[in-house]
Amino acid sequence: MKDFWRLFTSFFRVALRREMAYRGTFFAGIVGQWLSYGATFFGIYIMVSSFHILGGWNGSEVLMLYGLSVMSYAIGASFFYNFSSGLAGRIRSGEFDASLTKPIHPFLHEVFSAGYNIGYISHFTVSLVIMAISLASISFQPTVQSIFFLFSAVLGAALIQGAALIASSTMSFFSVGSNPIADFLLWDVKEFTNYPITVFPKGIQFVLTFILPFAFMNFYPASALLGKAIPKGYPGILPYLSPVVGALAFALSILLWNWGLKHYKSTGS
Amino acid sequence: MKKYWIVFKKSLKSELTYRSAVLWGLLSAVLGFLIQVFLWQTLLETGVRDDTSFPDMLLYVLINSFMLQLTRTNVAGMIENAMIDGTISMELLRPISYKGYMLAQTLGKNIYGSLTATAPVLLLSLFFLSDALLPDAIHIVLFILSAFLGICLMFEVTYLAGLLAFWLQRCWFIRFYLYGLRNIFGGTMVPIWFYPELLKTLSYCLPFRYMTFEPINLFLMKTSVEQAWVSLLAASLWLIGLCLVDRLVWQAATKKLTVNGG
Repeated sequence: MKDFWRLFTSFFRVALRREMAYRGTFFAGIVGQWLSYGATFFGIYIMVSSFHILGGWNGSEVLMLYGLSVMSYAIGASFFYNFSSGLAGRIRSGEFDASLTKPIHPFLHEVFSAGYNIGYISHFTVSLVIMAISLASISFQPTVQSIFFLFSAVLGAALIQGAALIASSTMSFFSVGSNPIADFLLWDVKEFTNYPITVFPKGIQFVLTFILPFAFMNFYPASALLGKAIPKGYPGILPYLSPVVGALAFALSILLWNWGLKHYKSTGS
Repeated sequence: MKKYWIVFKKSLKSELTYRSAVLWGLLSAVLGFLIQVFLWQTLLETGVRDDTSFPDMLLYVLINSFMLQLTRTNVAGMIENAMIDGTISMELLRPISYKGYMLAQTLGKNIYGSLTATAPVLLLSLFFLSDALLPDAIHIVLFILSAFLGICLMFEVTYLAGLLAFWLQRCWFIRFYLYGLRNIFGGTMVPIWFYPELLKTLSYCLPFRYMTFEPINLFLMKTSVEQAWVSLLAASLWLIGLCLVDRLVWQAATKKLTVNGG
């Protein structure tokens, strides 16, 4: 465990230096992300508040959904985005094979050497600000329990986001081209969770809860926090299960990755 | 003109080799459209706004997504890469305008994907639309004119911002600024008629609302024939103004150009 920590911190320092080499670009990028994510938050808010309510949620409350989604993505992706998006390229060029010869597990070596992506600080800060504004505007009274609940939900959600990135990178073991299936599952399906899933048909609610559990990333924890209804007939414990679902999804994605690794044939170089 | 046609065809052809990408693009378009359908159905059921109907919103989403997809490009990224690997020096030697080359490439790359992604969505939406909604002939002509200007304007703004790549060593962030500004001031996510007054007024001072929002207003006949000249004139003026600016910027850029290897 001590070795693990030492390795992580030294790889982290390298990543930080790499980003900071272009300081101007780094900050211009952060402001750009604020603007582009801010625009989406703005759009969602205008859309819902023009009609006062969307499936029982008002504008500020719906912002919590996208806020949780972006914040958990910021945490999950800061660890796994470089790894996930770079894997196909590293396999194509043959660099990946070097990871197989290192004295740590190839998965860990890949994640560490791909580097922690410090740039996601922009996603984190914008979602933090939006969620704070949103909670303040509905005069939410924080308690020790609710803060702890929110904290654990974000952690669980980050694990789900990380799991999605890991699972999608597994495709690279089988085809090194672009990865449209993963993009589809990761981006297009996730877009449903920007809004309360109760406004969508039953089939979609089922998929987002039991098959691709993106609803645990934001909808279920937010519904517990704000006292909103979950789909009819679903167990009342679901809103509290995000950390469990997150841990489970994360473990499954690593198993999937290892299964892919077993079927990996080097491209040679 | 023939040169640009060749670039267009080449770019289209290279896109056609990725058949499976088209299938996923199509699925993603259908899914995105369904999200909007469910969302606006729920919102409009509240009956709070009487200025917007469900077919209005369907057409809004449809036209928006087609036009955005047709002009999707990353000029800054292309220039950045061409500068890093040195191919920019080859590209500048060609007897062809760089801007025309970029435009032909963009349209060639996008035309197939945007048509194949729009067709199924259009078919789907026929279930929700009745023929009574279609605009009259004059509005259709005005819409086509305005959409043409909008597409040119969208490309122009992306191109002009992309030229900044000549001064910045790395510029992956430019598209985030463009996306954010277009989203807020162009009404590409939520129609501007829902906006608070201040933002509505501000949007008139920037080129973004003339890209897709004004054409859509004409198609939905929310803009009358008598008022149509205002937005057409504004779009044309923006287009001419930005074209003049990009000439100057281009001259300065080619003087400034540093090529790293090649």
